[in-house]
This record gives sequence, structure tokens and C-alpha cells, in this order.
Amino acid sequence: MAELSYAGAAIPVRADLPDAHRRAWQRLARAGNWWTGAERVAIAAEARNASRCPLCQARKASLSPYTVPGAHSSVGQLPGAAIDVIHRVVTDPGRLTQAWFSKTMECGEITDGQYVEIIDVLVTVIGTDSFCRGVGVAPHPLPRPQPGAPSRYRPATAKMERAWVAMIAADQAIGDEADLWGEGRASNVIRALSLVPDAVRQLIDLSDAHYVARDRITDFSYGRSLSRPQMELVAARVSALRGCFY
Amino acid sequence: MLLRASGQVKGENFDLHAVTEGTVARSGVAHEELLVAFAEAIVGDDDGALAMARSRLLQELGPNALVDAAAVASNFERMVRIADATGIPLDNFLDQMTVDLRADLKLERFAAAKTAQ
Repeated sequence: MAELSYAGAAIPVRADLPDAHRRAWQRLARAGNWWTGAERVAIAAEARNASRCPLCQARKASLSPYTVPGAHSSVGQLPGAAIDVIHRVVTDPGRLTQAWFSKTMECGEITDGQYVEIIDVLVTVIGTDSFCRGVGVAPHPLPRPQPGAPSRYRPATAKMERAWVAMIAADQAIGDEADLWGEGRASNVIRALSLVPDAVRQLIDLSDAHYVARDRITDFSYGRSLSRPQMELVAARVSALRGCFY
Repeated sequence: MLLRASGQVKGENFDLHAVTEGTVARSGVAHEELLVAFAEAIVGDDDGALAMARSRLLQELGPNALVDAAAVASNFERMVRIADATGIPLDNFLDQMTVDLRADLKLERFAAAKTAQ
């Protein structure tokens, strides 16, 4: 398979972006903590399919997405609960509720670790695909899955706080997780996927290229071709349109 | 909050209603109309609108700015889903610092959805 590239784009794309996307695509293809490489690529494919799902479109248009019954149109063999998670998170993230999450966990088809890893995979695909769309290139072909079994690794310091999923506390990134966010404040959005530590590493790697490196977050003089205020305006408008309170 | 903070560093007081009201409001950020239109087009599903917004941004600000705008917008297409799918609360320091701002922008309506049945 050809290496992920923006050589075909009509405009030059700075190298740190395709470099980060390649690393993300390579990780996507490998077994994770709870899903095999094949399952992870299936999650990615389902994430791409979600925007075409008639049930999701009907739910998105309705006053409440939880009053529209039906089955998702899916492209793979993932458990039904996984497909529902993928479709709802992709198409209507602003209206996800704790009640829905609790019911998803209670059904027993997926664990909390599998849930977090689903979010990890689908946001990787969404972010990369959205970038491609923004600069006017086709989405990259999904990678070929690599063999191997999931690690089944669950960080010992991950605990329930006020979020829906267990997270590593800000001061408990120790041992094998000592590199996750280093010293200083780790915001909740950085810790959100820490039940799968590699998801945090990838989040930071992609954010460094797409947005602002963590060690420069409070440096408001920092900018690229856009000034920091311009970057924040784009970020905030996207967030508002998605109905994201955080 | 980071938009407000980034302005304050330079002594500017951006109107944050542009964030929740789109191009209706005026934030005071340079080239805001282009950037807001691009952000809205990326989130939307109208490929024609996106192509137009992309072309305008490219023509007025250049290719590097287009790449940066696409990179930021797509980053937050990721981040909002991480936040909304994990139910993370506001960090304590953010919660305290933004009480008045959230009330002014009526952002609590987004939080109310989380506890809906």
C-alpha cells in the first residue's frame, strides 16, 4: 500500500501533519489494548460509514435521538453496541447522555476499555478525514490490519472520578504511564482516554501537529500562519457547532 | 476561554458571541468572517459551501493559512467527540474562571443535554 501522503494536494502541506497522520495510521492497523488490528480497522470503516446511515440521519433531525427506533446500516461484523457507539459519536456527539452510556455498558456487549478504544480509533479517523476534506483531498485508504492479539493492558491507576469512564488521575501518570503528560496540569480532555494510555499519546501527537504543542498552550503569542486568536476562533466555532459544553 | 485569553494578552477584548452565533456577531479577530465560514463549512455537509469557503480562504490568506485552519478545525472535530463521549466535567479551574462567560453565552444548554434521559 502506498505511504500516506499529501503529494496530490493542490497546496503544500507542512511535513509535521502527514508525519503525524502516518504514525496514527500505523497504530490504527495494529492490535490495541482491547481490539485486534482487524477490529480497529473495522471500527474505522464503520466510522466512515456512519454519516451515510439513514437511522442516524433520522435521529439527527429529531428532537431527541433516543426516541427514534431502528437498526443502523453497518458495513462490518462488530458487536451491535459497538456499532451504536460509533454511529452516535460520529453523527451526534453533542447529544450523548450518561443514561445512554450506562445502558451501553449494562448490555454487556463491550467493556469500558473497549469503549474507550472505540473512541480513540474513531476520533483518529474523523480528525484525519476532516483535515483531508478541509484541504480538498480524498480520505486516505484505511491501512491493512496487522496481526497480533490485544494487550489487554489496563493501567492500575485508572479510577472512576466524575467522568463516565475511569481515568488516570493527574498526579498518577507514573511507572509505564510516566510519559503521558509529564509535570504540570493535565486537563480532563487530555486524561479522558487514559484507560487506554496509547490513546493519550496519540491524542497529544496529533494535537501537536494540528493545533498547539502542550508546552505552548498558555503561550498566546504563539501562532503559525494563523495567529493564536484566529486558531482559537476556529476551534471555538467548531466546538459550538457540535454543541460541546467542555 | 482560550480565545478570550489569547486576546487579553495583546490587550484586545474579543466578542465571544461570534463563537456561538457565527457570522452574525463580530468577534474582532482578523479575517473572522472567512475563518468562521470555513469552520462552519467543515462541520456542515455541503461540499459546495466548503469548496467556496476553502477557495476564499486560500485566495485571501494563502495556502499555509488554509492548512492551519483545516488542521485546527479537524483537531476540534476530534476533541469535541472525546469530551462528549467520555462525559468529562469542566476542569475545576475552568469552571471557576468561566461562570459569568458561560452564562453570557448561554453555554449551559449544552451541559443540560448530558443529563437528559
